[in-house]
This record gives sequence, C-alpha cells and structure tokens, in this order.
Amino acid sequence: MDSSIFKETSKIAVIENGKCNRCGSAVKSELPNGKLYCRKCIGIGRAVEGDYLVRNQERISFSKLSNGGLTWHGELTTLQKQISDQLVLNFQNKENSLVHAVTGAGKTEMLFNLISECLKKGQRACIATPRIDVVNELYPRFKEAFFNVKIGKYHGREFKKPDLDQLTICTTHQLMKFYQAFDLLVIDEVDSFPYAGDPQLHFAAKQAVKIEGVRAYLTATPTEDLLQEIKQGRLKLLKLNRRFHGGLLPVPKEKLFLRAYLKKNQINPNLMKEIVNTIKKDHPLLLFVPRIEQIPVYVKALQREKQLENIKIAGVHASDPDRIQKVQDFRDRKFQILVTTTILERGVTFKNVWVIIVAADDPIYTIASLVQIAGRVGRAKEDSDGLVLYCYHKYNKNIRGAIKQIREMNQ
Amino acid sequence: MNQCLLCDQEFIAPIMFHQIFSLTKLSPSQLCPHCLSKFEKLNKICCPICSKNTEEAKICADCQLWQEKYQGNLLKNIALYRYNNYFHDLMVAYKRYGDFELHHVLKELCQSDVRKLQADLYVPIPTSPEHQAQRKFDTVSAIFEGIVPLTPLLKKKSGSKAQGEKNRQQRLRNSQSFLIDKNIEIGENVNNLNIILLDDIYTTGATLYHARDKLQEGFPNAVIKSFTICR
Repeated sequence: MDSSIFKETSKIAVIENGKCNRCGSAVKSELPNGKLYCRKCIGIGRAVEGDYLVRNQERISFSKLSNGGLTWHGELTTLQKQISDQLVLNFQNKENSLVHAVTGAGKTEMLFNLISECLKKGQRACIATPRIDVVNELYPRFKEAFFNVKIGKYHGREFKKPDLDQLTICTTHQLMKFYQAFDLLVIDEVDSFPYAGDPQLHFAAKQAVKIEGVRAYLTATPTEDLLQEIKQGRLKLLKLNRRFHGGLLPVPKEKLFLRAYLKKNQINPNLMKEIVNTIKKDHPLLLFVPRIEQIPVYVKALQREKQLENIKIAGVHASDPDRIQKVQDFRDRKFQILVTTTILERGVTFKNVWVIIVAADDPIYTIASLVQIAGRVGRAKEDSDGLVLYCYHKYNKNIRGAIKQIREMNQ
Repeated sequence: MNQCLLCDQEFIAPIMFHQIFSLTKLSPSQLCPHCLSKFEKLNKICCPICSKNTEEAKICADCQLWQEKYQGNLLKNIALYRYNNYFHDLMVAYKRYGDFELHHVLKELCQSDVRKLQADLYVPIPTSPEHQAQRKFDTVSAIFEGIVPLTPLLKKKSGSKAQGEKNRQQRLRNSQSFLIDKNIEIGENVNNLNIILLDDIYTTGATLYHARDKLQEGFPNAVIKSFTICR
C-alpha cells in the first residue's frame, strides 16, 4: 500500500545497515534469498530487509477530561503525597523522574495524580512494566480509579491491535508498537527482567515517547544505568525509604568461604553453623542457590545432616508444578527450610523469615536481586530485623553495590 | 562458546569421544542442553504403525480409522518426539512467524535418526505456493536438506489451506491436494522403489496418507513409508 495517501505518516526502511529500526537490534539472520530478517522482534511480525516501517505521527487531540478522569477518593499518607506532588511538578516542568521506594510503599496510588494531570491536558499516557502479571494487576486498579476513561490493555498473552487509547497499560515489549505516541510514559518495576539489561526494550521505550514527552520510572532497586542518569541530571530522584512500619531494612552480613559450599554431599561446616543457628532461633530459612539443578542436591545434603534431624526441608523452582502449594506450606510453617532460586526474590512475604544466599558472587545475582532478596527479611512490625547472609568465594561489585544501596536507603 | 537459538544463552557444547576422531566436519550446535532436554523422545511403548505413544503397544485410534478406510493398507510412520508445548512453540515460531534460522534446531533434533533411514528416494512434503511465497522458504525441505538427498516429487496445488488452520474433522474430510511433478527425473529403475516421505508433524495422518496415495498412483510398485519429527 502506498503510505503517502495518509497524511503525516513517515516511511523508513525497517532494516538499515544491519540494524532493525523497529527494535534497535543488530540483525544477522538471513533467509535463503539472502535478505536479512530480525529475530528479536519477530513476535510482532517478521521484519525483512526491503520492507518498510510506516509510522503515523499524526497529532491526536484527546478531550480534556475534567479532573483528568480521576474518580478515586482515597487518601495518601504524608510521605506518599510528597512523592505524588513532586511527580506532578516534574511532569509540568517536563522533567523525568525515578521513584525509588521500598516495596509495599504504595507506589500505584502515588501515580494517580500524575496520570490525571496528563489526561487533564488532553494528553496521552502509558504505564508499561516488564511483567505480564503486573499489567494484569495494575489494570483493574486503574480501571477503578479512572472509571470513565477507556484504558487500552496490551500484553503478549492476549492479542489485540493497538488502538488510540488515551491511557494505555502494557508490557514493555508492546512499546515496540508505538512510535512517539505518549506524552507521559511510566515504567513500573523498571529493574526487573526482561526490561533490565535488554537494549531492545530500552530502545522501544525511548521510541514510544514523544520527543518532548516525559518519563517516570518506579523501582525498589534502581539499576546502575538509572543511577548514572541521576548523576548526569537526566533523571530526578524521588526517594521513599521507609517501610510502612517505619523500620529500617536489615543490612546483609557477608561471609567469605575458602572451601566449597558443598563437597561430596557434605555441606561446608561454616555454612551449616549459620543454618543451624537460624533454625535454633526458630526462624524459617530461605536458602538461595544459583541454579535449579542444585536444589535437589542441597535438599538431600541438608536432610542427611544429623544436626537437622526432625527439621522438614523442601526445594522449589520456577516450573515446579507444586510451586504455589510449596510456597504456601512454607508460609504455614509446614517445613522450616526452603531451598530456592531467584524466582522467590520478589513479591513474596514470609513471616519472620531469614535468608542465606549461597554463592552470592554468582553472576546470576544482580544488585537488584540481592537487594530484593534481602528485602524478604524483617517485613513484620514486631520483627523488623533478621539475618541476611551473602556467602561468597570472591567479593564482587554486585555484593558491594547491594549493601551500599541498602545502607543508603536506611539513612 | 555456542549460542542457543531458542534461549539466546551461551553454552559449551558437550564433545563426544568419537567426535574428536571423526572425519566429518560437525556444524556447531545451536541448541543448548537445557533447551534440548525440554523435547521429549517418544518411548518404546507406541502404536506399531504410526509411533504414537499409547498405553499398550496396540494400534492407536487414528490408525484404526485409516485401517477401515484403506482396508488394512496402512502407512508405516517413524516419529521421534512427542508434540509437547515446547515443540508447539518451536513450530509456531518456525512456521507462523517464519523464523528461518530455527531449521538448524529441527535439523539437530532429527539428523542422526534421519541418516539411518534406508531408502531409494526421500520425498519431502511440499508447502503450498502461497505459503512459500509468504515465508520465502520451504519449511520441510529446509529441515531435511543436506541430511539426505531430497527428491521433490510432490507439489501442492495452489489455494489449499494449511493443515494447521483446520480442525480435525476438516483435515480428515480433506480431498487430495498433491500433484506429481512430472519434471523430476528419477533414473531408470522405477520398479520396487523404496520411498520415504518426510514431514515435520504427524497429527491425524491425513497429509501423509494423501501424499502416499498420490505417489502410489505414479509408482504402483513402490514401497512407501514415512518419517516425521513429531507425533
């Protein structure tokens, strides 16, 4: 189709100089006819060398909603209100923000005024997040808070063509379908997989906002590149560093191990000492190991330990069919030790739990993972402290960075 | 270090002892052991006709239907893997999205078994011209090319819908959609040929039975069997 019949559309080659103009990835794959194609964004239609990317840059004016369509009547705490006001102010001044708030601080509610400010002006807003579950969780809450606004909800599990919605809630992958479309782009859980460290998604996020548009990021554990942007003054930092109970985050303990954590099915005695100590003090223990295959090995080794007689031990991983049940059983104290991987790093609460990370120097643990794991401890008001132990062979910058970040949040 | 085409992660391919001394040059693996382990091999207890995994080693329900229709003239099919969710995802990416590179993965999954097949002719199941024009490659030939010499005796009539777009009933009701390509030379001896049909997935068997019928018209004395990666 000849795109020139649409006014204000632009047309560019989709693959140019070995790069995909839709997702920004380097393109190396070839079809038998010698044409390059992009594997990275193939899920939204194969982009082949010679094809064109047609973009609609028409300025759509939405109706200026009174009160920005906000129908929410709840109240913010003083701390939440400070952040909320600052977000609105930054948006008015066309400044980008990073909200660094501990988990459970009520981030969603702090967004309502910001979104309403955008819709009030007849502008277009989008809330994106790396995880589909988060989209599904955010949508009903915004639907309720903005009762009369039509919200577009998009993620890979339910196919829907993108529409001209004034408010969009979607995964970061879906942003590839938008080009200079939003006046305001909010990215929630910006530190989480797969957005963090994925240049393709960062490219998509950059492309989706209008040139004069504003970005706001939300996270409990900012990544290094975001902290860098703050230093360079391209992002304004808004901090909410108190848990709802007002207590401090427990600072992790580090421990150097010269010998293997596990040798011939025997747990290292120094590691055993820490495990036994936790159990003696009657705290349930989450033991993090880097890889799924190690879970059964550790479970078996722990079960053979004399000092842990009568202690119930289990392991759980991402594709475990009994995952939800096991997590619930651990919560109900049906067993005392749960061996797991990073799947339990965020979004779970266990009362009085203590954690030990075996091989915290493994590359699988980013600063964000280490902070999130530490964040499992001390979440209850009456028990706001506890053991977070990072075991390592070789001290690295992620361990240092995580501890530094936790200390800073406590100041 | 190799990179896995399915999960994008880098891995070190395990090296077998015999590979070190082997004269044939191996193409580097593009499927990591973790992704490989997600594909389930069919087990020995299966339908003796089509390799479908069954409770007992008895003729499966699909083959019983074919038995009625063809008065016992069944098509023997060899298959390797169960069509589980991982396989489904792989085939969707390969065929629907047209991720041509994935033919390397499918090759890796089946090549050692395909090499063991003894036949005079290896005939791939063709794709419709419309699909081929859209994808810019032939899905089945791309997998088996280079493993065994292919003889593209069959062609698909244009305008026939893909099997994947139809339900079970529609597939079974389907009429013949293959043609024999008269331009292909197959040498002198056309009597008592051993022919193996090659395809990716065996679902109801309709495609392969139609392909066999067409070939049998052209080569009445040929012995025809089939091979599919999945069942």
